[in-house]
Order: sequence, then structure tokens, then C-alpha cells
Amino acid sequence: MTLFIRKNLMLLIILSVLTGLFVAAASGMESQDFVITLLRGLSVGSLTFLVASGFSLIFGLLDVLNLAHGTLFMIGAYIGWTVYVRPDTFVDLLTPLAIILSGFLLKDLWTVLSTRSLFAGRMKRILPWIGIVLAAAILFGVLRSYPIAIWDVGDYAQSPVSISYLASQGQSILPPPAAFDKLSPFLALVGLLAGGSLLAFSLALFGTGKLAATPRLNWRSFFGFAVLLLAGILFFIFNNALTDFLAGVNTNWLFLIAALVAVASGIGLGALMETTLIRPLYIRPIYQLMVTLGLSAIGIEMVRAIWGRPEFTMPRPELFAGTGEGCPATSLADWWQYHCSTMLLLDGRIRIFNEIVIPIIGVIVLVAVWVLLQRSRLGMIIRAGVQDREMVEALGINVRRVFTQVFALGVGLATLGGVLAAPSIGLSNLMGESFMINALIALAIGGLTSYPGAALGSVLVGLLQQFIIKYGQIGISIPFTDIIFKPSPPIVPASTVLLMVVILLVLPSGLLGKKE
Amino acid sequence: MEYILDVQDIHTFIGQYHILQGVNVRVPKGSITALLGRNGAGKTTTLKSILGLTTPRQGKVVFEGREIQGMRPFDIAALGIGFVPEHRAIFRDLSVEENLKIAERKKGDYARKQEFIFSLFPDLKRLIHLSGMNLSGGQQQMLAIARALVADNSLLLIDEPSEGLAPVLIEQLMKAIPQLSAESTVVLVEQNFLVASQLTEYYVIIEEGRSVKDGKMKDLIDDKATIHRYLGAA
Repeated sequence: MTLFIRKNLMLLIILSVLTGLFVAAASGMESQDFVITLLRGLSVGSLTFLVASGFSLIFGLLDVLNLAHGTLFMIGAYIGWTVYVRPDTFVDLLTPLAIILSGFLLKDLWTVLSTRSLFAGRMKRILPWIGIVLAAAILFGVLRSYPIAIWDVGDYAQSPVSISYLASQGQSILPPPAAFDKLSPFLALVGLLAGGSLLAFSLALFGTGKLAATPRLNWRSFFGFAVLLLAGILFFIFNNALTDFLAGVNTNWLFLIAALVAVASGIGLGALMETTLIRPLYIRPIYQLMVTLGLSAIGIEMVRAIWGRPEFTMPRPELFAGTGEGCPATSLADWWQYHCSTMLLLDGRIRIFNEIVIPIIGVIVLVAVWVLLQRSRLGMIIRAGVQDREMVEALGINVRRVFTQVFALGVGLATLGGVLAAPSIGLSNLMGESFMINALIALAIGGLTSYPGAALGSVLVGLLQQFIIKYGQIGISIPFTDIIFKPSPPIVPASTVLLMVVILLVLPSGLLGKKE
Repeated sequence: MEYILDVQDIHTFIGQYHILQGVNVRVPKGSITALLGRNGAGKTTTLKSILGLTTPRQGKVVFEGREIQGMRPFDIAALGIGFVPEHRAIFRDLSVEENLKIAERKKGDYARKQEFIFSLFPDLKRLIHLSGMNLSGGQQQMLAIARALVADNSLLLIDEPSEGLAPVLIEQLMKAIPQLSAESTVVLVEQNFLVASQLTEYYVIIEEGRSVKDGKMKDLIDDKATIHRYLGAA
């Protein structure tokens, strides 16, 4: 016990100082203000945690500083919005996506083909590039005239801002479904399949290094392909039915679907990013930094091009949107009955989705990932790999596959954060940046590769910001004077940096980080 | 004689440094073979080159009749090579049990090998729930060897097992290592010639990145001139 205290003296001192500050800050305000500020802090902390935890998992195992993490958080929000507000666009995209990706699931076939002597020597160097260009041309040609119902950023009445506003008023009307006019549907599907397969094959030709074993082709090699292709065709046939179903479904379920789609896209994007762009650069860490920074900029510009620059908010699901009779709710039972958007707690009026649901989801994710890390084989490999990657490889474990899984998991967490932020703080092109900075500060405070550290740091950052914002409104009375000090808004970001600096001065590896 | 491992004239670079400049190691199946040589001669790099942790630029590594140089380390290890690195590389954040379980290549490996492992290193059974960071040096060494035994490995590469251990523990290890060769072939890097000479049947001496001499250990023991020249005082 005494040994524990001696070893962690600095940490204990800091934690008690922080607790003291917290108590002081709490006693300086009315109970309703305190409740609101506390819950808001936890809410911001939870969203920050969703960014920070993924970032730190990726950095810990892969040594990759994924500077695009904030942008992926933002993309999650926009994807969630699209599914939630414009299911027709989402459904139209399913067929092309499924069919293009199905080509990639034939990877065993491509690997076998790529070992053929036909593709050896100089041909092996040129062919992949020809293939990629050709595939891109085919896909571009097909997708350009493929009918996808979409909003129009240029026309205000048709822009995401207006659509979002109308949807929040319960007046969302989907335009008539887009139809094939320039291209025969059969040709379109075949083109997508050919383009996707050619792309996958060209990428397989890049494969270097000696294979442990050439995969044997059997029915299993084609199973995934067949399933995805069939799914693509089914989406194609039942396109309108599916759109009508999603447009008619209760918004609570639709939000859940939107969240799942956003997380799934995050996982897919993460896996794609790791296998194509990050993997070739493990030997050149600086280039990785450049690539992720570049991707972040590209991501922001793409979001601007597709969804436009103005900010808008995703309407809240019906369960959290009520304002009429019985609202604000006075208890959770009340809320369940009237579906209020707000609730009175200790006289403070809190927004249920923002200040209760998000922290709860944050805790659930915290526990779920913790269980994954501590109890599963994947978690065991991650914990071992963070310490000594080479030894994990020497045990015969395919670390690359684990890298891809962790990258995908990390990005999935970020997009989950994004989709939760969409109805609470709203969508903007720069939402990713601000959360990314928060997350980096949280990680520096908590310890860069420590999972509990990410949680602690995020909560500290969230609370500190919200308390300072609140004191900016009510003012701090300085003792023994009659001055009332109101921290101005620019102090909010500065305060977290200040906290970081102070903590790093006394504990250079963060609160819960490993001492190097 | 049947060789399970045949390293043929490998050259390995680390950065710009030409560390291995022609190493040949032949390991007869079922034997214990020692890699001998001074500090920095390239013994550890030889083991790493076999496993693909550093890739040889030239030469061949033939394991069980197939060329493995250039393959990815985890593919090589999965062919049945266990590695006990210098400084043990125990996973600190994992418990002793997890350190063993992570080495499973098939489900149930650990359950099957448990008995054998605990018969070799009874101490580990008592420490099973302790975290890797709380083990002493000797316990870590035993765990590192035990970890290499969990999967079905036909070849074990053991780097400096006696380094930094108390004599009592070295004795315990010397009892355990011969038992390993009942199931696998062992390649042992060992600074302590006394230990190596008692454990191994064959030897290869590596000097400045080249293999300079090999043969049967019992011939080397009497060859004081060679011992003095390559290994310093015996």
C-alpha cells in the first residue's frame, strides 16, 4: 500500500488537486447550473473519448498518428445524416457499392492468377497500373450516368440545410426516384462488376513478398463474392421498396440504422485506408503523417463538395424530440411517456439526447472496448503488440491482419462519435478538427497509449471546458473583493491546453501513461 | 544426415551495416546445436534472419525442405518455429497464462501442452495469474521458453537463456533444455561455454558475421586452441 502511494505520489497529488478544484467549482454555482454543466461536460467528454480512444488504440499498436481521425469523425456524422434524412440516396448507393466490393472478395482467385507466369517480369510492373487506369475509367463512365437521387448543394431549397430543416418539422418529402435513362441497367451492373474486379485484380498484382502458400480455390473462395453480388442485385431490384420502407420507418429505428451504417462505413473506410495507404508506409513514418494529414484535408473538401459548407443539424429521433404536453419531463418515466426532448433534474433543464444518452453510450463503449481488450484473443494480441510487435509476429500471429482490424475499429469508434454528434452539436465542416484537438489534449493528459487514460483525459477536458463556459455566463466572485470575473470564450480552449501543460510538467507521460 | 534447418551463405544488412557476411548453419533433426561466438559476432542476427525478423539479402534458408527466406515472419513462425529472444520479451501487461495462451496457433494448444510445460517449470503453475511485469528474471526466462512450447514447433531458437541468471536457475534450465529436444530440434545461442558444452551435440562458431567452424561439440571441448581463438578463455 505504502509502495503504491510512493510510486504514484504525483498522480495522487494531481488527482486530489483536480478533485478540490471540481468541488470548488461545483460549490460556486447553483444546483441546477451544476447538474447541467456536469452532464454537458460528460457529454462532450464522451464524444471526445470516442475520437481519442480509437486514435490511441491505433497509435499504440501501429505507431501511426492518424491525423485524419477527426475528419473521419465528421464523415461519420454526414453519412449518418444522409441515411437518416435522405434514405433514397443511401439506398441508391447500395447497389454500386456492393457490386464493386464483391470483386474484391474474389481475392483468392486474383492471388492465384497473379502468380501465373503470364504476369511475371516486366509485365508485372506495368500491368497493375494499366489495370487501375482502365478500372477507374470504366467505373467513372458507369457511375457518371448511374441514377442516384441526391440533394443539390447549389440550390438552397434543395440543399441539405433546407432538407434538414424540413425534416425536423416533420415535412420531409423525398423526390421521385431517379431512373435509368442514359444507360441500360444491365450494362450498368456488368460495368460495375467488371470495374470492381479489374481494380481488385490490379491491386493484387502489386502484392510483393513470398506467399506462405498459394490459396487453393474452392467454393469458399467464391462464397463472399456470390453473397455480396446477390445482395447488390437484390438492392437493385428492391430499390424502391427499400427506400419506401426506410422513409416510412419510425425515426428511432431509422436513427439506429443510420448509426449502424455510419459505424459500418467507418470500419470499411478504416480497413480500406490501412490496407491501401498506410500499409506501404510502415517503414516511412513521416510519410504516414503526411498521408493522414493530406487525407484529412481531402476529406474536408469532399464533404464540402458533397454536403456543402453551411452548418445544419440532424433532426433528433422521435423519442427525444417531444415538446408538447407533459414536457419538460420531470422523471424518466415521464420522458418515456411523452418522449420529451428535455427533462428537469434538480431544477436544471437538460436535453435528454445530448446530456443523458450520449454519456450513457460513452460508458457502454468504454466498457465494451475494455472487455474486448481484456477478454478476447484480439484484445490480448493488441495489448501484447502495443508493447512488442516483433515478438507477437515471432509467435506466428498475422499482425498485419490485426493492424487492419484495429485501424477499422478505431475509425468505427470515431464515426460512431460523429453520428452521435450530428443531432446534438450539429454538422459542420470543421467539427472534426475541434474534436481532434480536444482528443489530442485528452490523450496528452491521460497518457498517449493508455486506454483508461483516454477516458480520464476526455472527461477532464469535457468538464473543464463546460465549467469555464458556464462560469463565463454566471461569473466567478473573487474572494475578499467584489469583483466578478467572467472568463471569456477564448479561455475555453486555452484552459485545456493549460491543464495539459501543467500535467505534462509534473507527469511527462500523462496521468496514466507508462513511464518510459 | 537429415537436416531440419539449412542456412546457406546468408548475408544480412541492418541499415547500411553488413552484419552477416556469409553464415552457414546446418542443424540435424532432433539435435541441440549451439551457435557460439563473441559478443556482436552476429549470433542473434542469424536467429532473426532465420525467422525473417531481419531479411537476408542473399543466400538461402531451408526449413524442412522448403526455402523460407523472404517470407513474412509470422508465416515463417507458423511453419513451426518457436523463438525465445534475448531479454525474453515477456508481455508485461499480460498475465502468465495469457502470455502462454497468446502463443496458441490452434485452439486447445495451451490445454494440451499445459501438463508438459508445468512438468518442466513447476514454478509457472503457481504464478499463473501474476502479471508478466511482476516476474523475476528467472521466471521470465522460463515463461519465455514455455511460451515457445505452446504451439507445435519442430524447431526452437533460444537466444542466451542463461544471461543474467543466478547459478541455481541456470542449473534448472540445463535440466529443462535437454527435455525439449525430445519433441523439437533446438538451436541455442549461448555465451557461457560451460553451459553450451554440456547441453549441445553440435556447434557452429560465428566470428565477425561469418560462420568459421562447425562440428561435434565433443570434438570442440578438447580443441583448446579453437576455443581460445574464437571464444576467448574457456
